[in-house]
Amino acid sequence: MGARVVVLGLASDFGCQVQLTNIEDHLLDVLGLIDLSYWQLASSGHMPDEYDVALVEGAVTTDEHVELLRKVRETAAVVIAIGSCAVTGGIPALAGTGDLEGRYEAVYGEGTDVARGRTRPVAVTSVIEVDYIVPGCPIDTGEFLKVLSRVLGGLSDKPSEQPMCFACKTRENVCFFEKGEMCLGVVTRSGCHARCISLGRPCTGCRGIAPEANLGAARDVFEQHGFETARSLHAMNLYNTNEEVAL
Amino acid sequence: MPLLTVEHVARIEGHGTITVDVHDGEVRDISMDVVEPARFFESIVVGRRFDEAPLITSRICGICSPNHALTSIKAMEAALGVDVSERTRVMRKLLVYGSYLQNHATHLYLFAAPDFVGLPSVFPLVETHPEVVERALRIKKLGNDLTTLVGGRPVHPITAVVGGFTSEPDPHVLEGFAETLRELAEDLTETVGLFSTFEVPDFSTSGDMLALSSEDDYAIYEGDVVAVDGGWRKPVSAYRDFIREQVLTHSNAKHSMVDGRTFMVGALPRVNASSDSLTQQAKDALRNAGVSAVSRNTFHNNMCQAVELVDAAGRCAGYIDQLLEMGGSTAPVSVAVRAGEGAGATEAPRGTLYHSYRVDDDGIITAGDVITPTAQNLANLEADMRVFAPTVVGLPRDEFLLSLEQLVRAYDPCLSCAVH
Repeated sequence: MGARVVVLGLASDFGCQVQLTNIEDHLLDVLGLIDLSYWQLASSGHMPDEYDVALVEGAVTTDEHVELLRKVRETAAVVIAIGSCAVTGGIPALAGTGDLEGRYEAVYGEGTDVARGRTRPVAVTSVIEVDYIVPGCPIDTGEFLKVLSRVLGGLSDKPSEQPMCFACKTRENVCFFEKGEMCLGVVTRSGCHARCISLGRPCTGCRGIAPEANLGAARDVFEQHGFETARSLHAMNLYNTNEEVAL
Repeated sequence: MPLLTVEHVARIEGHGTITVDVHDGEVRDISMDVVEPARFFESIVVGRRFDEAPLITSRICGICSPNHALTSIKAMEAALGVDVSERTRVMRKLLVYGSYLQNHATHLYLFAAPDFVGLPSVFPLVETHPEVVERALRIKKLGNDLTTLVGGRPVHPITAVVGGFTSEPDPHVLEGFAETLRELAEDLTETVGLFSTFEVPDFSTSGDMLALSSEDDYAIYEGDVVAVDGGWRKPVSAYRDFIREQVLTHSNAKHSMVDGRTFMVGALPRVNASSDSLTQQAKDALRNAGVSAVSRNTFHNNMCQAVELVDAAGRCAGYIDQLLEMGGSTAPVSVAVRAGEGAGATEAPRGTLYHSYRVDDDGIITAGDVITPTAQNLANLEADMRVFAPTVVGLPRDEFLLSLEQLVRAYDPCLSCAVH
């Protein structure tokens, strides 16, 4: 039997787990290659004590999550963070900016005791070291299958470190800045085939800041097109509150 | 005897725990504790731009994301006084049905069916009943393909924005898809057939049933809210007046009441409210399945989802024919930013979903509110559990707990939605 795989969801919308079920054409093949040991979304059963590969979706928002992740790191030979929440903190980490207690009271009212053990939301990658990442909101199924096959083959994998612009140009998309619209492709990690931009929607930065992005040059591009730095940072914050992003 | 629990109930979206206190063969207390962590969506939209709300709130739920995106868009359009084209309205209905096909297929085959054949998951069926698994994946893929065709991808649609769509599918591809929908009609009828063979408990819920209802269509994208028992009809814009939310200590999700009682939303209430509007094939399927409208049996929610699949295929093929003939544009209409507030609702696969927002003169969000289907259902689910548990408490422990899980799964709960 193949590698023993567990799938874990922390604070998330389950969208990336849904994407795992969306590999219909390959689902049965993948299931033949691995020993799917635990997946609450799809099967009854308990989390086993031993496994080889852990897929982790979601942001870390409770003490329980932190404890679970430490145990996962000790147990699994390979940890894969899937999706923006796990990789960069994503949308749930927006709640970590400003006054968390104030947000809690705004939603639940004062003097209640729900959502116990909550912590400031952060990415999985901020709590433990992970071996592979599959960025995106949601993940791209093709990219996930590529990473999984490299994991099973014992190979390393490094996602693209370049920003989106090059990929976008090869697809002959008209640049949003030319139309007077803000687009975060200029600072965002490529590898998604510039899908949103190709469908007429500017990049919102879900894959995280590209390590090779030239942020200084990006600031100039934003400013030249009438977007003040505060506005640009606000847009970049959407998926990247976990990192110190400066322009 | 210690408390019996089912921790992190499997085959539902999100994390929840059933706790039962049984003493001398009597059920003393029972609850559904939602442990799914809070992500504070109503708070995090505040301070963001109006056009970011659909993108952010779509991330409440990756399984019914088209509904969150569209409900948010509708609420924002109400706040800003934006009218969209007829073509956009039809295209949006297709996007909702993409979500229905994908969600109902996943719930029925992957989540619900294993209970009825005594399996922990659908995966063992790959060996024993490959044709059933293949059918499940075909229907699910049909939903994903429709969502992708209209929205750009299966989860978190890209193209749907305030005012319209940023991109439209090629008419030839649309035409081909209508053909595929007609070809797969048999898969959908067989799904109703499969669920007809599963025996469900004779049970009656005590709550009311709410759904959108419209005179000219099976209401999934627009209409007023009707109460099947209460007999009333109210506009969506009044939802915060007729739904009362309360915060509980045992659950990160709030509970909801109407008219001082619990209520249910979802496929069963929709069919009960609008069975006259179903397609002829869906009406036939419902009759053949032996489910009457109005049924009060919560367990019939599964069957009603299957009937909605039959309905969806015929209806979507019709919408595509309409789009191919009607002309017009879905390109986003221009939005004049102004201060305002507005509410919107759609029927998500699990029931009526409400969003509302207030924006300031610069289009910055100053308040947001979301009530999801599962948040509305939880109080009714607990009420059902209290009535149902004593009827099955005599079963061996595992079977007893499994029966309770089956009731939970009949609601097709989405706990990440419920907490959000």
